Formats: sequence, structure tokens, C-alpha cells
Amino acid sequence: MSSLDELTALISTYQQAFTEALGAADAAAASARPAALDALKVAWTGRKAGKIADLMAHLPSLPPADRKAFGQQVNALKTVVESALAEREAALAATRRPADAVDITLPGRAPAIGHRHPLSLVREEVQTIFTRLGYQVLEGPEIEDDYHNFEALNMPESHPARDMQDTLYLSQPLPPPSGGVSPKQAEPAKADRSGTTRRTLGPQPLTLLRTHTSAMQIRYMEQHDPPVRLVAIGPVYRRDNLDLTHTPMFHQCEGLVVGKGITLAHLKGTLLAMAEALFGAGTAVRFRPSFFPYTEPSAEVDVACIRCKGAGCPVCKHTGWLEILGSGMVHPAVFEAVGYDPSEVTGFAFGMGIERVAMLKWDVGDIRLFYENDLRFLEQFSV
Amino acid sequence: MKVLYSWLRDFVDVEDGPAEIGRRLSLRGLALEGIEPAPPGEEPPGRAPIDGDAVLDFDVTANRPDCMSVVGIAREIAAVYRLPLRLPSPDASGHLRAAALTAVDQATFSVALEAPDLCPRYVGAAATVAVGPSPGWMQRRLTALGVRPISNVVDITNYVLLELGQPMHAFDHTRLAGNAIVVRAARPGEALTTLDSKARTLAPSMLVIADATRAAAVGGVMGGLDSEVRADTTRIVFESAWFAPGSVRATSKALGLRSEASMRFERGADQTGAARGMARACALLEMIGAGTADGTMVDATARPYVPRVVPLTHAHVEGLLGMSVPVVEVERILDALGFTAIADASRTAWQVRVPGWRPDIARPEDLVEEVGRHHGFEHLPATFPPVFQAPPPSDPRIARDAAARRGMLALGFSEAISFAFIDAAAAAPFAAGEPAITLANPLSETFAVMRPSVLAGIIDAVSHNRRHGRRDVRLFEIATAFAARGERRSLAAAWTGAAGGDHWSGGRRDVDFFDVKGVVEHIGAALGVPLAFTLVEPDYLVAGRAAGVVAGARQVGVCGLLSPVLADARGIPRADDVYVLELDLDAITATAPPGATRVVPLPRFPAVVRDVSLLVDDTLSGATVRDTIQRAAPSTLVSLREFDRYQGRGVPAGKVSVSLRLTFRADDRTLTDDEVGAAMTAVLAATRTALGAEQR
Repeated sequence: MSSLDELTALISTYQQAFTEALGAADAAAASARPAALDALKVAWTGRKAGKIADLMAHLPSLPPADRKAFGQQVNALKTVVESALAEREAALAATRRPADAVDITLPGRAPAIGHRHPLSLVREEVQTIFTRLGYQVLEGPEIEDDYHNFEALNMPESHPARDMQDTLYLSQPLPPPSGGVSPKQAEPAKADRSGTTRRTLGPQPLTLLRTHTSAMQIRYMEQHDPPVRLVAIGPVYRRDNLDLTHTPMFHQCEGLVVGKGITLAHLKGTLLAMAEALFGAGTAVRFRPSFFPYTEPSAEVDVACIRCKGAGCPVCKHTGWLEILGSGMVHPAVFEAVGYDPSEVTGFAFGMGIERVAMLKWDVGDIRLFYENDLRFLEQFSV
Repeated sequence: MKVLYSWLRDFVDVEDGPAEIGRRLSLRGLALEGIEPAPPGEEPPGRAPIDGDAVLDFDVTANRPDCMSVVGIAREIAAVYRLPLRLPSPDASGHLRAAALTAVDQATFSVALEAPDLCPRYVGAAATVAVGPSPGWMQRRLTALGVRPISNVVDITNYVLLELGQPMHAFDHTRLAGNAIVVRAARPGEALTTLDSKARTLAPSMLVIADATRAAAVGGVMGGLDSEVRADTTRIVFESAWFAPGSVRATSKALGLRSEASMRFERGADQTGAARGMARACALLEMIGAGTADGTMVDATARPYVPRVVPLTHAHVEGLLGMSVPVVEVERILDALGFTAIADASRTAWQVRVPGWRPDIARPEDLVEEVGRHHGFEHLPATFPPVFQAPPPSDPRIARDAAARRGMLALGFSEAISFAFIDAAAAAPFAAGEPAITLANPLSETFAVMRPSVLAGIIDAVSHNRRHGRRDVRLFEIATAFAARGERRSLAAAWTGAAGGDHWSGGRRDVDFFDVKGVVEHIGAALGVPLAFTLVEPDYLVAGRAAGVVAGARQVGVCGLLSPVLADARGIPRADDVYVLELDLDAITATAPPGATRVVPLPRFPAVVRDVSLLVDDTLSGATVRDTIQRAAPSTLVSLREFDRYQGRGVPAGKVSVSLRLTFRADDRTLTDDEVGAAMTAVLAATRTALGAEQR
């Protein structure tokens, strides 16, 4: 006769042995695990030779009073064993792959998706920023007359500032366009401005490629009364040889705000908002006095270096600042040219190179890359 | 403009070193371009050498001729550091001395101003000299600023130019025929050999300094070789004058001759500086032992200089800048820069007299800038302009171009941006018989002609990518095309290589005509304008693989296979098939302005689909078959499309089997088999009668 205590101790040993065997099966390599689990199942739950059955065989050797307690203990172990094995079998079944499984490491079919040109991305970003700030976005003619590109911008024929922008001229002047800023923009005729010093000039022959989008300031103000709040974006042309930072065609964004009481501080607030939108919150801007014939006062505007945040690095030539645009308060002579009264309104204007922004944003070291249209370059930009 | 730190210190006792001065001036309108170590050498008598002496190079803007001098930059430094400016004067001791010259009407020479508009003031003074090298300290200063020492007399003229910004010239007195200086317009064809040994032919628009018989110098530009100071010269006449900027600029440009003098005169020299420069030159002559001035000067003035007076109000200063600047600060800045501001009783407005060296100051706004920049733009608050009204709509081309761009990107085309000017050969195939718009001064022949078609740039972009090993290329560009009748916005695209299926699983197919036609149809849909096709075969496309694109009744574009000859000429491999398209976006939107999309209710009754295969002549166009069916079918035919074309086994030669899918539906009822059957009978009868089609 066996005693219940002896057999309880035996169950405990079995339980210990199962835990170890299960641990060994779990630790087996993934490929060996199914076989290990099958062996465990046979060894423990087999009807004839299984270890649970082994234990049960001791039942008759106990006094009848102890048999119920022993049976409960064996059944408890059986439940532990069966549920542990069932759990693992279920887990194994979940990972089993069907026969027609695909090799998920093979390359997918690339959908035909085009990539946007980085200049187009910056251009749209700038448009979005200023649209959000309540600006009208305009485009304008790329072939211009001397009056709109220079003279009305306070750069008469002999002005030394004309040297600042080497101009590309047409071999043969073209007749002036019949429309204005844009045929779609037609508005009621402007109010009579008798008493102003506006020059009465008929349409001029087109002689040159615009050197800046500032020409659009004149075209717009000629046709619309203040207030004005616009940006003009598009290609401009200068006789610059190609090098790392120059191309004979590049893109500009011109901003113009005219109204009563517009100040240089308003310009600073506006450009700060733009800089933060383009380069991230907290981007500082700095105004440095400069000279442009069509603004007074004039300022070059720097943003804190977007790489080093002002600490100094090769990108900013260790100054902590990057020049991004020229700006200023609209020169009274410009207002006079378009028939605005400079004692009534003031305004600010700025002109920014789109390429410059793109080069800074994406660390493009050579401006010529924008015009090669190499797909290896373009495909680095998002859709 | 380069300046020597130690030279600046002659005029202002600034304690900061060169780097800090450069940094601070950069924020006041004089951008520092660079700093170099100063050349070693002597200092002027009585001046101790300065540790860390350096040459500062400033970028002087075109409006500031006064800063093309050491004194001009020293004046800015004095204003920034709130220090006094020390100027050369008759009673100053040491090397800042200016001579006290007596003005006389006639000296050992005479001066006549015959062109008072171009030269209203001319100061001449004679001296006896012993020509030799100038002292080491003067040579060092000139060299540091990039001017080559020549001789003591010539070096003095350059020294005064650099120091005060007053260009000077020295004539050999004995070479001035008749002891006369005549400032006059050049005679037609008058000849002069300038100091650079070049023979020049002058025009009457140019100003010359002549003696009694001939020209001796081009006024404000360069002296003549014949009257130059030589080693054996013993008597000289110094010239210190003011020449009108426009004339000097035009003359310098016409002669292709720029000099340190012309660069200053053409921007505007100091109208009050001629006598000051002369006094300085005569003092230097004696200081360096180069000679003795006669002590007199002929100060010829055709018109007395009247200083400009510009009114300024405090309200204007603060109103334009948008920051507060105290009245005393306004007055301090103007005073430091050499302006004389006379306040009104309330001290809120001034009459400001402009010094002769500031030709750029003509309006109150110019003074506001002076106050603003020296008070410091760093004090500007960042405020925001008030919005007065909702902005008018933006240029409608922007949204339209964006829609076309989205369409092209969705079709797998990447966006290109090309130069608007191309070479004449690239432009020619697209000119359509119109004269090209050419540039008068192109950078090179590569950039000589404004593109008549945006395709030209796209083709070159394809070529670039093919030459860099890219087999499959899809590119588009939305840009301006140029013609004498005006600018137009064009969408151009090119497609070569795979049309799809370029994958390890197979199914690769190369692009064909119907791919590019599909692109055009998609863009039409994107713009809300139905586009149709017509037989147009321009020379730059392959006949039989080309079509014109039509909106309304107007041709608005083309699509098709690029001529291999043209592709080859642009460097594209001959075996490539490059399909292209170009659409005139302005013409498309002008023909049919995009309307708002309106939703069509979903059908309430089911459709009935019937497929039919017809044997027809293979010369018959798809459009003819479709038109015949459309006309014969009742209005319940809502869709008709080809889904197969077959030639080969079972189809007689010269015939093609066309399979069409017809979809019938009515809005108010479910169609019965009888109704659809009757419709199909009518359709088949019509194709048999009109086209001789047999049903297969």
C-alpha cells in the first residue's frame, strides 16, 4: 500500500519534470519546436504509456478514503499539462504558412507616381503661406518693357543701379501686349486720379527679359487702387554665368503691401512669419540696411542659420546667419510713377529667390541641379 | 572698398578691433566682405604701429560714393561708436594737415569752364616738385588698398582719392600749351592717348581737360600720356574738380575705360570737396618732401553749389519705421553723419541741410533710412500689417496649372523646369514658320532663342537622363512658351521606355501612341474640358503616329511619336521611341472655361450589356464604326467602347474583327429583352448597310 503523502510528493516531482520538459521544448529552435511538442504530448498525455496515465495507475494502491483526493491532484496536473500543450499548439498553428505563401521579401510593383520639382514645392509652399496671410497671388509677363522693369522702379536710363542686374535684351522689340496684368483680373476702370503726378505713358514695346518680379508691382498698381496685398511669383532672367550659385534664369517671389500706415516693423513681422513657416518655429530674422533704388529704407534680410541655429557652421560661413531676401519700404518715386500719393499711403516690398530657399531647405550645393532635370535628383523629392 | 584699420584710426579713436568694427558696420549698411592682414611696413611719422592691423573690405552700395573713402567709412564708425571724427585741417599738426591756399583768379595758368553742366567746379594749383618715390608709409597704405605706388606726385593724388574720396590729377605744367586749362566738350574725332598708352578717339558728348590747343585728359576718367608727370618733371598743376555723374558714366562706358576716379564721379563725388582735396594734396606734397606748392589755387566755379535742404518730421520717422526713436537720437544721428538739422519751435520737425558728399539724400524718406539704420533695425518690433479687405482672387492660371500638375504626377510623370532660352537649332523645329524671339546679348549660343515650345526643354531633359543610363523616362513641364504674338502657358511631356509592368513578375510593355493619347484625355478630364483628336502631323512628329488635340473647334495641342531625326539631333539614342505631347493650357481654358463639377444621380434601374464582334475593312476607323452605331441606336445606349481588335487566323485578309461592348439603360424603367434586342437589330442592320460589316 502506498500512502497519500508519498504519492503527493511524486505528483510534485512530475509537475517539476513537466515544467522543465516544457521549458526545453520552448527553448528549441523554431524548426524543431513542433516535433518537441508532439513528443511531449505523447510522453505525458498518452492513454497507455503517458505519465498522467502512469500516475493514475497508482490509484488502486491507495486506501479508498484517499483516492478522491489523489484523483483530484492528478486531474489538476493533467489540466495544467493539457492547457500548456494546447496553448502552444494553437500558437504553432497560427504561424503555420499555407503552401501558396508568397515571398514577402521580393520587391513590390512600384506604382507610377511622378515626383515634384523642388522649386515647384517651394513655390507652392510660399504661395500657401501668403495665401494664409491674406495675399493675392499673381503671375506676370516674362518679357517686359524697360519702363516697368526699370524706369518706374526709380531706375532711369543712366542709373548706376542698372549695373546691379545685368539684363538680357531681345534682338527685336515686340509689340506691347494688349491685355493688362491678366485678362481674368480685369476690374472696373480706376478712379480718376487728377492732381497726381502719374506719368501718362502709352503701351511700350517689349525689349527685355524681366530681371525681377518687381515689374509686377508696377503693372498691378497701375491698374488697381490701394490697399494692395500681393505676392508675384515666377521666373526672372539675368545675364549671369552658370556657377554653383548662379543661373541665367531663376525664380523670384515678390511681395507688396500698400496701405495707410504700413511700416518697416510690419515688414519685419511678416517676414518673421514667413521664415517660421518655411524654416520652422523660432527661426530668427535679422534686418541689415542696404540699398535698392525702389525701396527707402532698404534692408537685406537674414534668417538664423537653419543648420546650426546661429551657432556658426560652414553653411552660414560661421556668421550664424543666411541672407535670403532684399526688402524695404516702397520708394515714393515708385508710388508717383503709378499715381499713388506717397503722402497718403506707404508700403513694403520684398523679393526672395526661390532657388536660394530650396538650396537651404534641402542642402543643395549646386544651383544647376535644379535645371538638369535629372530623375536621380527629382526622385528625391516627395510627390 | 578696402580700408586699412590703422588709416581709419587717423580719423576716429575707435578701440574695437577690425573684426568687431566689421561686424557692427555690417548691421549699419556697410557689409563686410572680408578681412586680410595688413602688409608690414612703416607708419606715418609720429604714428605707432598697431598690433593686428588689417585691411577691411566693405561692399559699398551704389548709392554711397562717400563710403568709397577712408574718411567716409571713418564717419560711419564714428556715428556707430558715438565718437568724434577728426578731419584734415590747416591748423592740425602732424600728418592730418591741410594747406591754407589763397584763391586767385589767375595763377601761372588759367582755368576756363566751357561746359558748366558737365563740370561746374574746377580747382587747380601749381607746385614745384622733385619727382621720386613716395615714402614707405604712403606706399604701404596705397598698396594695402590695392593701388600701385608710382611716384611721389602721383601717389599723392591717389592718396587723396582714397582718403577723402576726391579724385585728383597732376599735369606736367610745362606740357600745358598756353599755360591754359580749358574744360570743354571734345571736338568731333579728337584724339588722345590716355595714361594706359591707348590711343582713343573722343566724341563731342565727352568732356576733356584741354590746354590751349588739344585735349590733355578725359575729364573724370583718365589723364593723357603726353602731359603725365615724369621723372624729370619740375612743375605740376594739380587738378581737383567735380564732374557730372551721367557724363562720366556714359564716357567711361563708351571708352570701355574705368578708373578709381570714374567709379567715384559716376556715383557722385562730393560737390564741396574740390578745394578740400587740393588743400590736402598740397600739404602732403610738403609733408613728404616732394615739393613746394605755390600757395595759391584757381577755384573756378561756374555755378555756386547750393546745399540741398530736406524737411523731416519726427512723426514721419516713427511712422515709416514703425518704431519709436527719441528726438535726441534723431538729432544725434543726423549730426554724426554730417547733416545740419535745424529744429522748429516744437522740435518735432527739422530742416535738414545735406552735406555735399551725400548725393543720395533727396527726400525725407532718405533721412528716415539714415536715422533707422543708425538707431538700429534690431530695435524694430515684429508687428503685423492690418488687413483692410479680403484679398481679390489670385491669378486663375495658378489653380489651373496646379490641376494639370496633379494630373501629370498621378500618371507617373516627374516635373521638370528648364531654361526658357535654348539654342536656335533646338527651337527651329517648333517655330511653325514664325520668326524666333532671339536675344541680343545671350550668355552663349546655347541660350540664344526664347523657346517657341516647352517641348524643346523636355526633349533635352530626356536626352540628359538617357545619357545618364536611365532607360524609362516620364517628364513634364508647365511653363511659358514664347512667340511674337505673346506668351502662352504650355504643358509639355515626354515618355520613353516602359509603359508599365517593369517588374520581376513580367508583363513589361513599352510606351505607345495610345498611352500618350490617354494622358491627353486624362488632362482634359483634370481640367474639366473634353479634348478630341484630329489628324495633324507636324514635322517633328512621326506621320502615322501623331494627332492634333482639339478643344471646341480649336487646335490646342499635339501628341505623338517624336521624330527620330530630331531625337537623334538632341542626343537621344536612335532606337528610342519618345512619345511627346504639348497642350496650350491658355487656349484650352479660353475655349471652354472649366465649369463646376456636378454630381449625376446614380441610376435607379439596371443596365443591360451586349457584346458584339463585327468583321469590317481594316482601313475603317474606329470612330466611323462607333458613329454608325451611335446613330442607329436608341437613346438608351449609354456607353459604347471597343474591347478587342483581332486580325489573324479566322479573319480574312484586309478585314479586322472589332469587338464592342454596348451598355443600354433607361432612367425610368428596367429595359426588357425585347427592347434591347430591337436596338441590337437596328445597330447590326446599320453596320451592315453602311459599313458592310458582318457579325462574327
